[in-house]
Order: sequence, then C-alpha cells, then structure tokens
Amino acid sequence: MLNLTPVPIKIVDCYDDGENTRHYQFAIQETEQHLSPWLKAESGQFFMLCLPGVGEAPFTFTTLPNAQGNFRALVRRMGSVTDALFQCGVGDIIGARGPFGRGWPMERLLNQRILIVGGGCGIAPLASVINQLIDSQQFIQLEVVYAARNQAALMLNPERARWQHLIPIFNVVEDMAGLSDGEFYPGTATGILPKVLHTFGEQPDTVLLAGPEAMQTAAAEYLVAYGIDPKSIFLSIERRMHCAVGLCGHCYLNEKYVCSHGPTFSWAELLQYDIAC
Amino acid sequence: MHKTYLLDSLDELQRHLAQSHEIYQVVPQSDDARADYHWQQVGSGNWPDLVEQKPLQSPKSFFFAEQEPLYVFDGETFEEVLPTPTPFVLFGVKSCDLMAIHYQDIFFEDDPYYQARRKQGLLVGVDCVTPCEQGFCQLVNAGPSVRDDTADLVLHPLDGQRWMLVVLSAAGKQALHGLALEDASPEDLHQRWENISHCEQSFPRYQYILEGIGKLNQHAISDEFWQQLGIQCLGCSGCTTLCPTCSCFATRPIESASSQQTSVTQVRFWDSCLYESFQREASFHNPASEAGQRVKRFWYHKFSDDFVPEFGRYGCVGCGRCEATCPGVIGVHSVMKRIADDA
Ligand SMILES: Cc1cc2nc3c(=O)[nH]c(=O)nc-3n(C[C@H](O)[C@H](O)[C@H](O)COP(=O)(O)OP(=O)(O)OC[C@H]3O[C@@H](n4cnc5c(N)ncnc54)[C@H](O)[C@@H]3O)c2cc1C
Ligand code: SF4
Ligand code: SF4
Ligand code: FES
Repeated sequence: MLNLTPVPIKIVDCYDDGENTRHYQFAIQETEQHLSPWLKAESGQFFMLCLPGVGEAPFTFTTLPNAQGNFRALVRRMGSVTDALFQCGVGDIIGARGPFGRGWPMERLLNQRILIVGGGCGIAPLASVINQLIDSQQFIQLEVVYAARNQAALMLNPERARWQHLIPIFNVVEDMAGLSDGEFYPGTATGILPKVLHTFGEQPDTVLLAGPEAMQTAAAEYLVAYGIDPKSIFLSIERRMHCAVGLCGHCYLNEKYVCSHGPTFSWAELLQYDIAC
Repeated sequence: MHKTYLLDSLDELQRHLAQSHEIYQVVPQSDDARADYHWQQVGSGNWPDLVEQKPLQSPKSFFFAEQEPLYVFDGETFEEVLPTPTPFVLFGVKSCDLMAIHYQDIFFEDDPYYQARRKQGLLVGVDCVTPCEQGFCQLVNAGPSVRDDTADLVLHPLDGQRWMLVVLSAAGKQALHGLALEDASPEDLHQRWENISHCEQSFPRYQYILEGIGKLNQHAISDEFWQQLGIQCLGCSGCTTLCPTCSCFATRPIESASSQQTSVTQVRFWDSCLYESFQREASFHNPASEAGQRVKRFWYHKFSDDFVPEFGRYGCVGCGRCEATCPGVIGVHSVMKRIADDA
C-alpha cells in the first residue's frame, strides 16, 4: 500500500542563491523509523514538501539524502507553499514525503560522453547528477550548459564555481548587464547549442535537459536535427502535482502521469505521448 | 458454474445480510413520481423493493469518498488517518456501476484509503432487464447483465415476483452462510439468459458512439473541433462528479483549533480535469489552458485504446449520466454524434 503521510523534517540550514531562491538543507527526523526509503532516492527524483496548514508542493533533490537523513533542495519562491517555507526559520519542523518518480537514467551515463543543459531553476534536478558524475569520474566527457535570464537570476552559484574548475561549463545569460564576456556568453540555451556541439568533438552519447518546457522541447528538436537519437535525449517535465503517486490525475501527460512515469522522459517517449507544447 | 438459488422475496436475504452489515439501497427521494433516486441506508424491518431506476449518483463515493482526511499534523508529528467503516452491503448495484467499481479497484489498488473502505463492502448486483434511458452498457461490455468478476452476489428478477440469486465470489458465499436457500432450476437459468438477451436486443443501436470511438482512436479529430466543443463546456464538473469512473482529486489542509492546540488535517476531495486551473502551475504555465484541450482529455481518458492495457477495458461504462447532467451539450451522446457527423 502507498503511504501519503509525510515524515517530519527539520530545516537545518539555508542561504539565498539567486533571485527569490534559497538553497535549503533539511534533516529527516526520527531516522530509525523513517529514513530507509529516502536512502534509495536517485538523482532526478523528487519529494513533496509539506507546510502544515498551507499545502504540499514538489521539489527535486540537489543533494540526495545521506545516512544521517540530510538532503538539500533549491527552492524558488512562487506561491503559497514556498512563501510559507521562506517564512520558516532554521530549526523549524515541517514535512516531506518521497522519494517519487523516475530519476535520470544513470545506467546510460557511466563512461559516456554527456551533455547537460539546464535553464533557470531547471539546474536543480541536474545538480546531484553533475556532482555524482564529477565525484565518481566515471565519464569520458561531461559538459554543462547553464542558462539564466540575467545576473540576478543565476542560481547554484557555489556549485557552478566548483564545477567550473573541473569540467567545461557554458554559462549563458540573456541580459549581460553587470557580467563579463569571458565567463558568460550572451544568449540562450538553445542559441548556444551549435557552438557547444561544435566544440564537443564527437557527438554526445546522452543529453540531459531540464528547465522551462519550451526550452527543453526546442533543444530536443535541435539535437535530433543534429543527428542525436531521440532515445538518448532525456527531459525533466514539470506538471502541477497533488499526490505524487499517480492517483490524483493532475500531472497527466496523455496516458502517463508525470509524477510516477516521469518526471524524466526520453524525447522518444514524449514524441510518442504527443506532448502538448 | 456459479451456484444459483431461487428467492420468493428479497426480505429474507436483506434481513440475513443485515445481521452482519449495514445495508444501502437505491430509494426514491420522495413520493413524487419524478423524484430522483439515491443510495441510502435502509433497515429496521421495512425492506424496500429494488427499484428499476438508475440512481442519479453511482455508488463511487462509498469507496472513493467525496472528501476525506489523509493525515493529521499535531504540531510535531504526522499521523495517517485511515477510514474504519463497519461492514456494509450495497444491495442492488447495476452492472455498469459494478464495472466502474471494478475499474476503480484496479486504479486504486495501492490506495490505503480506498482499500480500507472497499474491503468492508459486499456488492450485491442486479441484472437490468430493460435498457435505461441513455445507457449503452452493452456497447462497452459493462452490462446489462452483471459481469462475473465485478460483484459478490447477483440478483435477477424472474416471473411472479421471484428472484434468482447467483453467487460470484467466496465473500458472497460466506455472506449467505446460515441461510437455507432453494436451488434455482435449469428453467430459471434459461429464463435469466432469455431476459438478458431480450434486454440486449432492445437497446437503440447508437452507431455514432462506435464511430466516435473509432475516430478518436484514429486521431481523426482536429484540435479545432475539440475547441468548438470546448466552448460549450461550462466547466461545471457535473459529468466528472457523476461519472462512476472519474477519480481525480485535489488536496488541501483544514485547520482545527481546540483550547489546547491547533491541528491540521490534510484532506483530499473530488476534483475535475475540466476546471481551467486543473493543470495550472505555480508559474501560471498551463498545459491545458484551452477548454478544448480539457474536453479532449476527458473523452480520451474514457475511450482511448491507450488505457486498455492497464484496465482491460475502456474508461466509460456506458451509464449515460454525463449526458443526463450536462447543461451544455458535451455529454457522451451529444459529443459522439457530433464527432460521427462532423469531425
Ligand atoms: C517534479 C517537480 C520538481 C520540481 N522541483 C523544483 C525545485 O527543485 N525547485 C523549485 O523551486 N521548484 C520546483 N518545482 C516547481 C515547484 O513545485 C512549484 O514552484 C511549487 O509548487 C510552487 O508552490 P507554491 O505553493 O509556492 O505555489 P502555488 O501556486 O501557491 O501552489 C502550488 C501548489 O499548491 C497547490 N495549489 C495551487 N493552486 C491551487 C488551487 N487553485 N487549488 C488547489 N490547490 C492549489 C497545488 O498543490 C500546487 O502544487 C518542481 C515541480 C515539479 C513538478
Ligand atoms: S447502463 Fe446498462 S447496466 Fe447501467 S443501468 Fe443502464 S441498462 Fe443497466
Ligand atoms: S463517460 Fe458518461 S456514460 Fe461513460 S461512464 Fe462516465 S458518465 Fe457514464
Ligand atoms: S501528482 Fe497526482 S497523479 Fe501525478
């Protein structure tokens, strides 16, 4: 049977990281009772954050839960649940349930040439997979494109600073005001793809995309035209969610539910489900 | 072969089942001949007859409650709140509604709230011997006779106020324990199949429904056509509320304060995919912002071949309630006629 009841989590730490965005660290409470399912979490999966009296909303892990029950998530302030979270302080107890959904296809990433493209808050579901690959060094080639609207909207600043020393990163910004040309490229995620693919050398074996849906679908179409197999392109799809377990119906994508069949889908699958875009 | 019995009246069976169950039955809301028929608890000696009328609402809320608590937060911990109904009998469920319960059983297989209710419910079905208004159960393999794996017991009206009782499940057999019953004769069995076959032949042909399903699955219906239909959807949720297979829900918290503490109960309640906000995200991105997209979704969910592998059937059981309730013209008959003629 499914369990739709959250477990208590404590807010351990948080800091501002981009416009209206904070990076949170949470700790699962009463770990002996609650921790085991969380230890199975995979990169690209998500959890439901529960603010008692306000509601629940889905967020991805930027760092997966560890043996002490600590995990992290990047949260953008958007409405009632996130407003309430931003009003909480370190030490407060709230709730979470999960992990849910299908994460990134890790088996297709080991010892491969991988291109990762994240737009805006879409960098969140990619953070843990990038860290995992970098830390294990089990890749032939790994390059990251990160796109943001402007300087204020740049997120995961400490993480990207660390990655910058270890792998090629293309930081692309639409509005370059205040940013230097060497470190940042003017433009958009899709706009820079020709340049990235040109420098990539051999064609990437696998591409991971996350961010606004229109950006992801435009990038996927470009990559297919470039010759990459739709089965090797993976997207992270967002839908409104209430249950996260394939029952409430809100996150439908034709006959699939994004919460349980996704949020990771290959572009080949999405073409088959006739994704509305 | 299922065990079959003959009953001279229903009272004895009702009385027997009432020893260990609450009994619910479809009864008219008032003495007015035009009154609606509803599911209601019955008992204490005065057993109502089974009515032929299809109830306004299917019995779906017995298992998938219109609103129910999921968990309570007391300030420190979250506690699951599971329903604890006493054993109950739904006495006289129509074949279409039984098929819908069967469909929901598959969908909610792992849902603890649904299953806590479902395991307490005994289903006594009833065969229909005349087609109901707007019903087309025979086109979608849901009636008019009760399908084998959808009920525990089945009643069938025979000549002379007598009833045949068919035992379909172990739970049904168990529920009859202690009741002395006469076996049905081969003639009674024959009469049952005669009645059913006569009923099946009496349905209007509704050829446009088959044509509509065909076009929907050939993806022959344009988005513009759906948009035209969608304009006539008021987004009132009448169809999704009455449809026995609709199961979408939303969740929200309800606070209750006592003198000692405030607690919060997270509840779920029926929602409708036809509401404009159903898929609207916090960013206001809405993958189903057009009424046409939402109407298309509704009918796709009922009649697409894509769902058949999971459920072994279409999502529509042919009860016709969506047609009866729609204040616009997007119930099943109206929509399928237009698809067959114009799409
Ligand atoms: C798989 C997935 C992963 C995500 N990961 C991240 C992430 O890592 N970081 C991030 O910042 N964002 C992420 N998001 C987006 C994030 O979930 C939304 O921004 C968040 O839901 C906003 O919640 P809110 O309550 O603040 O906004 P609101 O718009 O106030 O509410 C959103 C939620 O409240 C409820 N709700 C809203 N309106 C209604 C209504 N009219 N009726 C009933 N209920 C309503 C719903 O449950 C809805 O999910 C993710 C989304 C998905 C689907
Ligand atoms: S749709 Fe069929 S099974 Fe349902 S009430 Fe009408 S005739 Fe009976
Ligand atoms: S779609 Fe209409 S006819 Fe079909 S089961 Fe639902 S309410 Fe009945
Ligand atoms: S969130 Fe409920 S079905 Fe996906």
